[in-house]
Amino acid sequence: MTSFVELLLSGITSGLIIGLAGLSVTLVFGIARFSNAATGDTMTLGAYGALMGTSLTGSLLAGGLIGLAAGALSAILAYVLVFRPLQNRSPISSLLASIGVAFFIRAVLGVVFGHDQMVFQMDLVRPFRLHGVRIQPNDLKFAGVAILTLALVFVVLHLTPIGRRMRAVADNPLLARVSGIAPRPVMFTLWAIAGAVAAVAGILLGMKTVVSPESGWDMLLPAFAAAVLGGIGHPVGAVLAGVIIGVAQELATPFVGFTYKIAISFLVLLLVLLVRPRGLFGKIEGVR
Amino acid sequence: MLVIENLVGGYGETDILTGIDLTVAPGEILTVAGTNGAGKSTLAKAVVGLLPRMSGRILLNEQDITRVPVEQRALSGIGYVPQVANVFGSLTITENLEVVEGVKNPRQRIAELFELFPAIAERRRGRASSLSGGERQQLAFARALMTRPGVIVLDEPTAALSPIMADESFRRIGELARTGTAVLLIEQRARQALAISHRGAIMDAGKVALSGPAQSLLADERAAQLYLGVAHAG
Repeated sequence: MTSFVELLLSGITSGLIIGLAGLSVTLVFGIARFSNAATGDTMTLGAYGALMGTSLTGSLLAGGLIGLAAGALSAILAYVLVFRPLQNRSPISSLLASIGVAFFIRAVLGVVFGHDQMVFQMDLVRPFRLHGVRIQPNDLKFAGVAILTLALVFVVLHLTPIGRRMRAVADNPLLARVSGIAPRPVMFTLWAIAGAVAAVAGILLGMKTVVSPESGWDMLLPAFAAAVLGGIGHPVGAVLAGVIIGVAQELATPFVGFTYKIAISFLVLLLVLLVRPRGLFGKIEGVR
Repeated sequence: MLVIENLVGGYGETDILTGIDLTVAPGEILTVAGTNGAGKSTLAKAVVGLLPRMSGRILLNEQDITRVPVEQRALSGIGYVPQVANVFGSLTITENLEVVEGVKNPRQRIAELFELFPAIAERRRGRASSLSGGERQQLAFARALMTRPGVIVLDEPTAALSPIMADESFRRIGELARTGTAVLLIEQRARQALAISHRGAIMDAGKVALSGPAQSLLADERAAQLYLGVAHAG
């Protein structure tokens, strides 16, 4: 029972990280209308940015903010240079281009930093026990940062004029335009938020495990699974689905092993697509 | 004042509009009627800037807005109520109004519109997707009126409404024109629409086949037989 609760807690932390990545995917899908396969590598870029920032400033917080800025900036650049020129083409064009962006980011990171794993220099903190359950203080910090990030995104989306405009564009892009909403500021804000959120996910993942050029790419499937399970384009759904997937992965680890736990995401994705394609919170699209 | 001159255009390579000339003056209701596929909704889209390919000229208060982007046209005083998908379903009723750009003193304007449309005011915190067809139409009107537009384009505003709600809708359109707004009304319920209009135009195959004062069109036998439905002809 104790180990079950420990796996559950670990799963919630991992799930929140998956949820952040899923949120980035679903935000882009909801507004820019394509699945961004560069999300995973934006995570990695954010993690490397944070590593470099930390070694330059000596502060984990400052490093994290630099990583976050790197993620936001790279996403905006990808939008300006690649996705905006393709915005009037089919979503498949943008999806394929995003795979290209992903490979490009990974290749650059590989050339600059090499392929050895890197770690964040963090203080080793002894786990404490609560009713016999071993709790990692760092996991609590990671969960706290993830929840804070999610809260900030939801504040922006629901309590600010630009967030309202973003939700309007996601809901009905043509009606948004005839309501006077200019697409450009909305798209820049979207990509900044999507990049920053992915970067936070990458930084937390890097702090929880290790950083390598491939670490974000490996998270892409769980992130897509979270976006689909949550109901594509539904931010709350993506986060909750991320937690569900994270918990399912951790609880399955004793049975399938660490290496194959990612297959759980694939299973979830497959089951959702077969049984409930609109996901947990998605709506049925009208057909006319 | 809205002036449309020799408007030609469509979505792909084929022209749907093949040469439209129309004018709507302040305080005037111009009903555009016609058979399905005549190009009425395409004309509405051209005026608000949603038609991807077009030639000719559109003037708003003597300014050429033919090449002005959609959102700029909205800010310069053209309101639009599309036939379908005319509210932001996932936003609350209040947010549907708050999100409109270019509104001076939006809080006051929202309060005014809630007075004008009390049915939606009661549910201001609810999501727009939860509204009935008639309430949605009211919200769509309110959203389009947020900027106090000089010209409003209504694309079949009564299409999904019951006869009682449609009557109510026509009454509101009449009131709107009396405030000085120019109304371009695309309507299938042509007789009812013409009854509240100053002038009418009947489209056929992308062109204006007949036009003139609304009462003359209602009395015109050819118009009645071809486009307005003989069953109700007076």
